[in-house]
Amino acid sequence: MSTPLLAVESIELAYGDVPAVRDVSFKVDEGEIVTLVGSNGAGKSTTLRGVAGLMRPRRGRIVFQGRDITSLPAWERAIAGIALVPEGRRVFPFLTVRENLEMGGYKDRRDGARVGARIERMLDMFPRLRERAGQRAGTLSGGEQQMLALTRALMSEPRLLCLDEPSLGLAPLVVQEIFRGIRAINAAGTSVLLVEQNARYALETASRGYVLQTGGVIASGPCTELMHDARVRQAYLGRG
Amino acid sequence: MITRTDRAPLIPPSRWVGYLLAFALIVAAPLVLGTPYWRGILVVCAMNVLLALSLNLVLGYTGQLNLGQSAFFAIGAYVSVILVRSHGWNFWLAMVAASAAAGMAGLLLAAFAVRLRGHYLGIASLGFAVITYQVLVNWEGVTEGVRGIYGIMPPPPIKLPGLPEISFGNSLALFWLVGGIAFAVYWMLDNLVRSPVGETLRALREDEVSAASLGINAARWKAFAFGLASTIAGLAGCFYPGFVGTLVPDAFNIVESFTMLAMVIVGGMGSMIGPVIGAVVLTFLPELLRSAGELRLMIYGIALTLVVLFMPGGILQLVQIVRARLSRRAGAGASR
Repeated sequence: MSTPLLAVESIELAYGDVPAVRDVSFKVDEGEIVTLVGSNGAGKSTTLRGVAGLMRPRRGRIVFQGRDITSLPAWERAIAGIALVPEGRRVFPFLTVRENLEMGGYKDRRDGARVGARIERMLDMFPRLRERAGQRAGTLSGGEQQMLALTRALMSEPRLLCLDEPSLGLAPLVVQEIFRGIRAINAAGTSVLLVEQNARYALETASRGYVLQTGGVIASGPCTELMHDARVRQAYLGRG
Repeated sequence: MITRTDRAPLIPPSRWVGYLLAFALIVAAPLVLGTPYWRGILVVCAMNVLLALSLNLVLGYTGQLNLGQSAFFAIGAYVSVILVRSHGWNFWLAMVAASAAAGMAGLLLAAFAVRLRGHYLGIASLGFAVITYQVLVNWEGVTEGVRGIYGIMPPPPIKLPGLPEISFGNSLALFWLVGGIAFAVYWMLDNLVRSPVGETLRALREDEVSAASLGINAARWKAFAFGLASTIAGLAGCFYPGFVGTLVPDAFNIVESFTMLAMVIVGGMGSMIGPVIGAVVLTFLPELLRSAGELRLMIYGIALTLVVLFMPGGILQLVQIVRARLSRRAGAGASR
């Protein structure tokens, strides 16, 4: 088989001396949606921070498109093609929706026409954002902010889109809209790495999944199988 | 007559009108305030505007808490004077070198800003200003320490062909010079913050994690902001000694950093015109309160506290609120 888009090899990540991720390995192939599920404190978000370059692993390797990026800082990984939608959305509150999207196209900022065309595509994808294009991002609702965070990340035309808890704090109807958006993004050719506390949504959206517990992988496989795995059902999908 | 139906601000003054007004104000101010005393205050005001503009770039636009801006003002002042007196440099050349030296020192502080955030950076920058002050006091062989340097000449006269010689020995010409430079710096920064560079700096201010995950190299842009801001503060410093005639470390006590901070906050940080308003108000207010004697510091302090408590957006916020009210009233009057 060809080399995976992203290969994470036995990374260990720690906050100070406290390891949050002990030994995690997984891969994302071109065109896939891969999800990391697990309870609070399992190390999902930490792993994602490691992939995006917000934390340096103490051990292990991260390989992206065949290139070792373990020691690259976050901004260089963004330019290499890894986009992160951080937990809690983190849009730029005092910039307008349009300015947020412009910042999303930062790495192609010298090509204004291309960035402008991409902004139009993003506003087509979520028409609600178009209505609010001139509004400060801080005045948007939570769901709209998540749509903005998602499209802002897409503005860089990443190869891999990393999503950290996109459903957090959103109403169920809005969550469905967001996940529809994620599937559409994937269908258009962007690979997705999804970290999500809501295991049901995550497993229904992704093709493969890894189950994390206390900083390690305890199960992995196609989502259809994981959904029937006794441990997963019991721990994350309610009794079963 | 056109009836105003939208809720746009009442008479949005276009940028050019603003620039022309500011230019006219700079030309007219020393002619209206004709006494040497008030002209002197105007020179100080122009320097304060430069300092407030410089701090605002780092604090208001890039979101980096910098409590040590007085250090760069000091470096500009001392380096320019020492180059002229001890090394026989031409003042204008020394001015360029001194501003550059302040800018380099700013890059040094930026190295800390890459690792520290918020209050920690505030403390580090404060420490930077304290160290600079101590160097000025103790490096007597170069700075003359607390004894100070005396008899400093104003900038040398400019001779342009076909025009009378411009001498900076009087506050009128000196104000026009420093005021003109402040105007030029404002114009440059105004364009900068509207450019993609300005957007990048604001993105850093609002969320560094998001900025990094979009490919923004925070270290580089912080260095840019600190470097440019301290160059401007250093430039302001070049004019201070020639104006006062003496140079002592106490002029650059860390309290000065807080005065600059107050100007930016009182005026309204993160906007271009806010810190200018703050600098003008906080330069003239103490002078206008002089008749109140010892009470004036109290009035000054209470006024500052009230602004921070009730108008966190500064005077500019007050102006915007009043303008919004007026336009709402005008809108209500015009509605069918």
